[in-house]
Amino acid sequence: MVKRRTLLTALATLAATPFGARHGRADTAGDAAAFIDKLLHDLTTVVNGAGSVEDKRAALEKIIDSTVDLTAVARFCLGRFWRTATAGQRRDYTDLFHRVLVTDITGKVGDYQGVSFTVGRNTPRDDDVAIATVVNRPGNAPNKVEWLVSMAGGSPKLIDVIAEGVSLRLTQRDDYASYLARNNNDVQALIDAMRQHTLNRQG
Amino acid sequence: MRACYRPVLMAAALFVAGVAGCATPPPASDPAALADFQEANDPLEPTNRVIYAVNDGVDLVVLRPLALAYRAVVPEVVRNHTHNLLANLGSPVALSNDMLQGKPRRAGDTMMRFLINTTVGVAGVFDVATGWGWPTHESDSGMTLAIWGVPGGPYLFLPVLGPSNPRDTVGFGADLAMDPLTWIGQGTAVADLGYSRLGVSALDARERVLDELDRLKQEALDPYATIRSLARQHRESEIDDARTDTRATVPDWYPQSPPR
Repeated sequence: MVKRRTLLTALATLAATPFGARHGRADTAGDAAAFIDKLLHDLTTVVNGAGSVEDKRAALEKIIDSTVDLTAVARFCLGRFWRTATAGQRRDYTDLFHRVLVTDITGKVGDYQGVSFTVGRNTPRDDDVAIATVVNRPGNAPNKVEWLVSMAGGSPKLIDVIAEGVSLRLTQRDDYASYLARNNNDVQALIDAMRQHTLNRQG
Repeated sequence: MRACYRPVLMAAALFVAGVAGCATPPPASDPAALADFQEANDPLEPTNRVIYAVNDGVDLVVLRPLALAYRAVVPEVVRNHTHNLLANLGSPVALSNDMLQGKPRRAGDTMMRFLINTTVGVAGVFDVATGWGWPTHESDSGMTLAIWGVPGGPYLFLPVLGPSNPRDTVGFGADLAMDPLTWIGQGTAVADLGYSRLGVSALDARERVLDELDRLKQEALDPYATIRSLARQHRESEIDDARTDTRATVPDWYPQSPPR
């Protein structure tokens, strides 16, 4: 099923692309679509598979690490403060950001039991490709979820997930921006707060 | 119905008047901070935060425990049926707004949903229409105003009602005014029904976001700002869905004119 869908998506993209722009663009969109197909396949396998919650969390973390462009997303979420942060702060922040991301996502693993995805159209958005999907969960209304794939690094990487119109990275950036605005725009204060927050959640 | 909202709205107005305060924009010498301030579009932030804190407190001791109890006592099937029933009661308002937005296919969807669910769906208890190809969508006066070109305006956090803006607040009032249940009948039975609908709606709405809201408060460094961002993006996307819905009114098998 997944394979056929990939093929259809790729064909549809090809048909919809103006002839002159066909090369490059179609490849990009096709690569992005194949990348998301594989990601969704891997996600459903882990979430719906057998195994303890701990195993599933570990497997999910592996998927996150291999598919998400962590530096790009972390940088986006810090916004203009990335430029003013010191090298050490950037490193600390990125490490913490990784932990926060992994905890936030793997914490939900139980809620997604029985999840399935229907892949829809992909649309180029600036230099990236947005892939529309519908997420079905038993007992829940279907949700529209878009996956934003960047090809900037040569290979496809996930840079955002947009659930019912809500961009996760934008929401995260607004959270940090507001925290910084209320704490004298001090990046160190943000890092400390993130660290404390992570500790509290683990403890 | 109108009678049940009046005390809420009056309390809200008094409360807002009492705590009104404006945020001081950053100085023009700091253009980046000023840009952030304008992007947040929340000049009433100090007031909004006070209302958010009060709402949050009330939620913690009243609404959230009630929603938890509702979830514990009432089986999921019954909760879903209740939700369907409430959604069906909202159909006339949604239909009016679909039409005012100039969206015939969306109006058709709402109309079919109302007809099917009220009859086959036993007064709206079962949502048969979704499975038959008439899925639900959001439609209210705030969206209608947005499609007519009215800008949202600054962020508002309303007592009880939560995230909004001046346009959607006006829309909320307009929805109440156009709801047939606002004008039908009088007397205690009708008023009691109105209060019940209001109460059950609140329970239903709160129960449906129990997990999400708990998680958000756990994850966010600044839940107020996160809710602001989330609510605004979600609202924009609802409006965008309506705006970009240019389906023609001819059947699917009939040759469709390309979207403009």
